[in-house]
Amino acid sequence: MMNAPTLRDGGVASARGWVTVALLLVAATLVSMVLDQHVALMSQAMVYVLAVVIASYRLRWIESAVCAVGAVTALNFFFVPPRWTFVVENRELFIGLATMLVVALVISHLATRLRRESETARLSERRARQLQGLSTDLASVASPAEVLSLGQQALDAAFAGPCTLVLANDRHELTDAAAVPASVPASVLDGLRCCMNEAAVLGPGTGRWPGLNAWYLPLGDKARTIVGAACVRPALSGDTEGREHAQALCALLAQSLWRLRLSASVVAAQGEMQRHQLQSTFLAAVSHDLRTPLAAIVGAASSLRTQRDRLPLPDQDRLLDSIVNEASYLTEVTENTLQFVRLSSSEQALRRDWESIEEIVGAVLARVRQRDPQRRIKSRVAGGLPLVRADPVLLAQMLGNLLDNALKYSDGAIDLTVGGTGVAGVSANGQELEIAVKDRGPGVPEADQDAIFEPYARGEQSGHRGAGLGLAVCRAIVAAHGGRLTLRRRSGGGSCFTASLPIEAQPTAKDLP
Amino acid sequence: MTLRVLVVEDDREIRALMQSSLAVEGFDVQTAASLSEAGALLRHDPPDVIVLDLGLPDGDGAQLVREVRRQQSVPIIVVSARHQEAQKIALLDAGADDYLTKPFSVGELLARIRVALRHRGTALAAAVTVHELDDLRIDLAAHVVQRAGETLHLTPTEFKLLARLVRSAGRVVTHRQLLADVWGPEFTEHTHYLRLYMAQLRAKIERDPAEPRHLLTETGVGYRLADA
Repeated sequence: MMNAPTLRDGGVASARGWVTVALLLVAATLVSMVLDQHVALMSQAMVYVLAVVIASYRLRWIESAVCAVGAVTALNFFFVPPRWTFVVENRELFIGLATMLVVALVISHLATRLRRESETARLSERRARQLQGLSTDLASVASPAEVLSLGQQALDAAFAGPCTLVLANDRHELTDAAAVPASVPASVLDGLRCCMNEAAVLGPGTGRWPGLNAWYLPLGDKARTIVGAACVRPALSGDTEGREHAQALCALLAQSLWRLRLSASVVAAQGEMQRHQLQSTFLAAVSHDLRTPLAAIVGAASSLRTQRDRLPLPDQDRLLDSIVNEASYLTEVTENTLQFVRLSSSEQALRRDWESIEEIVGAVLARVRQRDPQRRIKSRVAGGLPLVRADPVLLAQMLGNLLDNALKYSDGAIDLTVGGTGVAGVSANGQELEIAVKDRGPGVPEADQDAIFEPYARGEQSGHRGAGLGLAVCRAIVAAHGGRLTLRRRSGGGSCFTASLPIEAQPTAKDLP
Repeated sequence: MTLRVLVVEDDREIRALMQSSLAVEGFDVQTAASLSEAGALLRHDPPDVIVLDLGLPDGDGAQLVREVRRQQSVPIIVVSARHQEAQKIALLDAGADDYLTKPFSVGELLARIRVALRHRGTALAAAVTVHELDDLRIDLAAHVVQRAGETLHLTPTEFKLLARLVRSAGRVVTHRQLLADVWGPEFTEHTHYLRLYMAQLRAKIERDPAEPRHLLTETGVGYRLADA
């Protein structure tokens, strides 16, 4: 039998078979002895034939053959005259015994073949069902890892094993340490590599490497790509159906993996397209934000150069102011753009240290107050706040952007509050530090509340130009610190931007000299 | 005597701008477009103050700063872009006196130069023992700190920290310099000490610690005691 469990149970099964043979013969002999006084020899022979038929039906061919020989011998010994000898006196009786032996053997042979065929049919049906189930399961998987685990389960269920299933990396190699579990022996790994290179099944009955004790099957074929390989045990050269089943399983797995790779490349292509789109809007917006102030600067400066003598002094001052203002606006745009690109690219240049948020607020206010002569910004910093592990220059830029925006887009008072979510002075993990900037401006419509954090998606109301990248940079900075920047409408009008930063375990300061 | 300024800057426009604005203020201005040119000028004719741009084409400004510091105490002011904190700090720790962030106004440049010149020479620096601004009075020799005539009580470490800033009043002092001078060279990485002590000092000295008037933060670089 080629199915694994039967193979594994072979030893036990045959022992039980021989016992059954012995029991059947003993039973037939006993029954015949009981009947001895009442029936003819022919009926006793029939009892033995019955035992042989039962043995043929239930047991292997060799066991039933032995049973048949045993039955004839027992009949001869116990019942055929002269009894208690192996001598056959009567020629007719001899023919009877011989016929019985032949009949027993024929029945046994037929029964065994019938049984083997029906078992083969059952096995084929089980395998067909397994293939069907696997293909249904594979239809819904989303990752190669799931395919791997389903595939391993299927192989383990179908074969005694140990079976190995590995996936190749994108370059169709098995070198990835992560892709190949360490438990796979080097010899198996060589076989897997070899079958992938040859794109063919190796092992007993395949004509390639028949000396192996396992089948090595590639997942996929040369025409498409080979995405992995499997090692299946046990492998018998005569077990064509078993090998075909293993191949069918591997084909299903390969198909599923191809499907996953295809959809992954589709997603990548879409991402690439979106990035291109973003890049061009980005460029368009940046160039707008750069050209407008540049035009103003060139205009004012050239006007001063050619008309200075005729311009009254206040007008000259106005032009000079406009040059300084536009230029500092350009600086701001440049800073934000640079920072945005820096934060978006993978190499994040965070220079973290233990920082006091109160200090950063103080430094930012000192700078922003130059644009806030009426002191509209009211700051309130809670006492005893814990230190944060942060890049101070980035946090200052974030806070500066938020305050500049509030000054630009609103007229009334602006509240800057800094506090912890828990009690002031907390140092436990999981706490957050909140920096909130609240204005009484027109606010941001509910629908735009996410969009304004996108680069160059400006609130519609703005006749002002370009916070452009400001909020996108702010969000990127807060995110780089493991926090989040949120916006909500204030009751009574205006916006509230809140940056929440995680508070880490504080450095020890008890040994402070 | 006319004070001489050496401007090391590779951009022609900015060089010309600095030259004219400093000349108007009565300085005798020399310019160099590269480190090698600056080196030659320095050997030939040492100036009273150096304005050094970061990111010159022919190499690292720190080299020049160290070279100058070996022989002379001439003040050096570093000019840099924002986000060049690491290089700025390296130059300050190598011996530069102060820094300016681009873009800067001519007014800021003049103010920095004035402060740098005031600290010129070791004899002069040692003499700075009294610092007065607004209603704050710090007398290092007498160990007294007063606000509006009222004596403030500082711990010994707080006083050491404040004294270190007074000796460089008006100039930036990097975290590393403060930690090394107040706590010792082995504490230069313990920035959190500074944060905690600076908060305590501000709470005692400042009227509004959240918007300090005296103990200014140079974000990512160090601290500066305001002197004007």
